[in-house]
Amino acid sequence: MTEFIDVDVRPILRAGGEPFSIIMAALARLSPGEGLRLYAPFKPIPLFDVMASKGFAHREAELEGGEWEIRFMPDDGSVEAAGPASAAPNDDDWPEPAVRLDNRDLDPPEPMVRILAALERLAPGQTLHALLSREPVFLFRELTKRGHQWRGGFTPQNEFYQLTVRVQA
Amino acid sequence: MIGTSLFRWAISYFAVAIAWLLLAEVLIVAGFGFPNHDIDGPDTLVVVHIVTIGWLSTALCGALFQFVPVLVARPLYAERWTLPALVLLTLGLSVLLAGFLTLGGHLNGPRWLLPVGASLLIAGFALVVANLGMTLWSARPLPGPARFVATGLACICVTASFGGLFSLVLSGTAIGAQWPDLLVSGVPIHALAGLGGWLTFTAMGVSYRLLAMFMLAPDSDARLGRLAWLAGITALAVGLVGGVLALWRMTGLNLTLLLAAAAALLSLAAHGRDVLGLYRARKRRALELNTRMSLVALASFVAAAMLSAAFVAAGSFASHVGALAFLVAFGWLTGLVLANLYKIVPFLTWLETYGPVMGRVPTPRVQDLVAERRALKWFVLFFAGSWMATLMLLVDAALGFRLAVAVVTLATLGLSEEFIRARRLADVAEPLRLPTGAAAPHLLVSRN
Repeated sequence: MTEFIDVDVRPILRAGGEPFSIIMAALARLSPGEGLRLYAPFKPIPLFDVMASKGFAHREAELEGGEWEIRFMPDDGSVEAAGPASAAPNDDDWPEPAVRLDNRDLDPPEPMVRILAALERLAPGQTLHALLSREPVFLFRELTKRGHQWRGGFTPQNEFYQLTVRVQA
Repeated sequence: MIGTSLFRWAISYFAVAIAWLLLAEVLIVAGFGFPNHDIDGPDTLVVVHIVTIGWLSTALCGALFQFVPVLVARPLYAERWTLPALVLLTLGLSVLLAGFLTLGGHLNGPRWLLPVGASLLIAGFALVVANLGMTLWSARPLPGPARFVATGLACICVTASFGGLFSLVLSGTAIGAQWPDLLVSGVPIHALAGLGGWLTFTAMGVSYRLLAMFMLAPDSDARLGRLAWLAGITALAVGLVGGVLALWRMTGLNLTLLLAAAAALLSLAAHGRDVLGLYRARKRRALELNTRMSLVALASFVAAAMLSAAFVAAGSFASHVGALAFLVAFGWLTGLVLANLYKIVPFLTWLETYGPVMGRVPTPRVQDLVAERRALKWFVLFFAGSWMATLMLLVDAALGFRLAVAVVTLATLGLSEEFIRARRLADVAEPLRLPTGAAAPHLLVSRN
C-alpha cells in the first residue's frame, strides 16, 4: 500500500498564489515508494503530464463542491491495485464536448445566456465546454434548476474559468 | 463551488431603505435639524440616524446579503435570519427616533425609548454580523474585497456598542450616569467607526468586485486593494484603539484622530489608484451609467477628503464638520448606493423573471430593463444638488441648503420611479416583455 504525503493547494490558489513550486518541493521530499495526495479546487489536468514524465501515475476523485483529490503514486505497475480513490464519478464517463464556447470577452450576463441557449440544443447526455472570465455564480442556479450537471474551476494561473456542463440524461 | 441564489428580501431591504432616505430628505427640506438646530442636538440626531441606519445601513445590508456569497463563492449562512434582521433594524430605528423626538421635546414619551431602540438595533445588527460573519468564516482565507467587508462588520459592532452606551447616558439611567463624559469624546469614535469603518470601508471593498465586474477589468491579482486595506485598517485601529485610550486617559484624542486621518488618506489614495488601474485595464470601452455614477460618487469622496485636509490645515475643521459629513453621506455614500441600485435592481429583476426561460425563448437583455438617458437626468440633479447643498453649508446659507436638498429629493423620487419601472418591466418592449413561462416579478420581494 502506497504511503501518501498530503499537499493542499486550495488555500494557495484561493489567495491567488502559484502552487506549482510547492508541489514540486513536496515531490522532492518524497521517500522512495511514497506518493503525493493533492487537494485542488479544480482538476489540475496540466499537472498530470508533468507528473507522468516524472514517473507518477495518478488517481482522481471529485470531492464535494467541485474540488478534487488527486493521488499521485510511483508508477511501478501497482496503480491498478490501489483501487478507485472514491465512489465519485470522474470525467471519464462524460463524452467529449459537443459544443465549445469561448465567452471570455462577452459582457455579463451574455456568457450565461449563450450557455443556456446552447444547452437547449444539445441531446440528453451531451456536454458543453465553455471558457469564461469569471466564475458564473448565477448560472449554476439555473443549471441546477434544469437538472444539468457541471464541473468547473479556474485554470492554474487564475486566468480564466473552465466549465463543462452535461445535459440532463 | 456552489451557485448563488437570489436573495429573496434584497428588494425589500432596498425599498425600506429608499423610504427612509426620502423621509430624511423631506425632514431636511422642512428645516428639521442641522443647520437650523445644533449639530449634536436631538433633531439633528433624528435626521443623521435615518440617513445612516435607515437608508445607508439597510441598503448596504441588503446588498451584502446578495453579494457576500458572490464574493466568497459560499452560500449565505442563514437566509432565514435576514427578514427578522430587517424587522429589528426598522423597528429599532423607529423606537430610537421616538426617543430622540422625546429628548427634543416633540413627543411626550418615556425615557426608556432610547435604550430599547438601541437594544433592538443592536439585536438587528448582531443578526446581520453573525450571518455575514459566519459566511465569511466558511471561506477563509478571504479574498481581498471580503476582507474589507469583514473589517466593516467589526466596525459596526464598535459603532453599535457606543450607540448603546450613549442611549444609556442620554436617557439619564443610573448606569449611564457613570460615564458623564462619554458623549463628548465617544461621539467621534461612534461616527468614525460608523461612517468610516462600516459604511465607507465596506463600500470600498464591494466596489473592487463590482467595478471590475461591470468594467470587465481583470481583478485576479491578489495584491489589488492590499495597500488600501492595510492603510484602512491602520486608520481604523489607530482611530478606535487610540480613541478609546484617549477616552480613558482624557487626553490625546486630537492627535489620535490626526494619525488615523493620515492613514485614511493613504487608504483612499491607494483605492483611487486601484480604481484608476481597473478603469485603464477595462475591456468594456463604453461604461454603463451605474459605473460612471459610481466614479462620480468616488470623486465626491476624494473631494471630501481633500476639503477635510485643507480645513484641518487651516484650523477650521470643527466649524465645517457638518458640511463635510453631508458630502460624505450624500455625494459619496448615497450617490454610490443609488448608482449601484440602478444596476442591482434591474439585474436581479432580469434574473428572476427571465432566468427560468433563458435559452428556450428570446429574452431581453438587462439593458432593456432600463432607460439610461432618463435616469442620467436624475443622477445629474442628484449630484449637482448634493454638491450645491455642501457648498451652502460651507457658506452658512441655511435656506440655500434646504433648496439644494429639495433638488436632491426630487432626484431621489425620480430614481425611485426608475427602480419601480425596472421591477414592473415597464421599459421592456412588448413581444419580449413576458414570454411564455416567465412570470412578472412582485414589486417588493423576489421569488428565489
